[in-house]
Amino acid sequence: MLIVNELTENAAHEDPGHPERPERVGAVAAGISSLHLGGDVVSVAPHRATRAELARVHDGIYLDELGAYCYAGGGNLDEDTYATYDSWAIAQFAAGAGLAVVDELTRRGDGVGFVAVRPPGHHALADRAMGFCLLNNVAVSAAALADRGERVLIVDWDVHHGNGTQSMFWNDPRVLYVSTHQWPLFPGTGVAQEVGGLDAVDRTINIPVPPGATGDTLARALDEVAAPVIDEFDPTWVLVSAGYDAHRADPMGDLLLTSGDFAMLARRVREVVPAPGRLALFLEGGYNLEALRTSVAATLGALLDAPFDAAAPSAGGAGGDVAARVREQRRVALDQARAAREREEDE
Amino acid sequence: MTDIRTIAVGFDGSPDSEVALVWALDLAAPLGARVVAVHARGLLSRLEGWSSSVLESTVTRLAREHGVSVGDVSVCVEEGDACSVLVRCSRPPVDADLLVVGSRGDGKHPGLLLGSTSLELAQRAEVALVIVPSAHDVVSP
Repeated sequence: MLIVNELTENAAHEDPGHPERPERVGAVAAGISSLHLGGDVVSVAPHRATRAELARVHDGIYLDELGAYCYAGGGNLDEDTYATYDSWAIAQFAAGAGLAVVDELTRRGDGVGFVAVRPPGHHALADRAMGFCLLNNVAVSAAALADRGERVLIVDWDVHHGNGTQSMFWNDPRVLYVSTHQWPLFPGTGVAQEVGGLDAVDRTINIPVPPGATGDTLARALDEVAAPVIDEFDPTWVLVSAGYDAHRADPMGDLLLTSGDFAMLARRVREVVPAPGRLALFLEGGYNLEALRTSVAATLGALLDAPFDAAAPSAGGAGGDVAARVREQRRVALDQARAAREREEDE
Repeated sequence: MTDIRTIAVGFDGSPDSEVALVWALDLAAPLGARVVAVHARGLLSRLEGWSSSVLESTVTRLAREHGVSVGDVSVCVEEGDACSVLVRCSRPPVDADLLVVGSRGDGKHPGLLLGSTSLELAQRAEVALVIVPSAHDVVSP
């Protein structure tokens, strides 16, 4: 069963010519429709995330300023990120959609959630919009779950590092953040040596891969680097920052993933979901509409055991040594972090 | 007093960033410091056919006009938002001892309460920061 928010393109949040555009939601809807799930799709009405729900991860002053900026007519927040008069309300509903989908999954104790909202969220920092993102949708839901006592795994397979999400949970041992991303690439963070703050050592796993990397490289790194840490963390919930700009046809990155690779990634994620109704995916990037449509279909088809058409998974690209290199860089960084923590405890 | 060996200048090709670069070049000459013109590449830059060659030629021209050896000035292009990229410049490999920025940037984003790179740098910079006012900022009494 698929639990999805009521799909809306949010045409009032648009900057003509900008790649983060309303038609992206239509592509997701077409991808879901291609699976012919019939009555196995449950649509959930989002609520507007409250200030208290947003303030778990965002600074109150930022929320006030963002709302005021939008109601003053909006404009460009930085070189990449825009806001319109309606963006504040739309962003609140986007964050609330994640909470609504998670609540519905909890109530049913079954199904897979997909939060198909825009603007995306994983670059949004506690106190700043960035990288097309206003509010950090996945982080708002992860923080809500953590406050209920859950151990939350966030897997981020967007082509860009989710710097906002990482920073929000940098020192929070209740959340394990795992990111595969192209490096170097915007936002310039996400090296393997970033392993978490002193209160959350080994709760951040970054797997940077070079341009030209293929799905087999990501799979091997997830198996060899992330899987042992995930096993030890033993998550009770799994959220995915599901960006589709790592697809080879996407204009925003240089990785060579195919739609079939997203099915492969989804199956790997499913292996670590602890129980039915404990997995929700959040749309992040993905700017080639056809690649977005086919990749969303492949992701959800794989998770729901529904037939889907997808290209063959990719293999043989750049970065064949990524897993070994990341493992070694993390080993050194973890030793340093644990030594620093011991020094702090001694003091 | 801290030795100033490397000065990182936020440089986006705007008139204000040129003013900042010239200010940094004037400071660097007597100190014997090197100047690194730092350009942050955002998400959209890869869609805009952006090339570093224009920046490099501008930096070279300004250096020559101010009698600075071109070898003492370099251009560094980094992925990320302007503030974060400049903050990182105080760490290896740039290792800047001083950050210099213009007050307004390229003018594509008004900043207002949310986005001014120079104001945010004032809070986040890990080394000394100089904000060079543009001609527009100088108000006659």
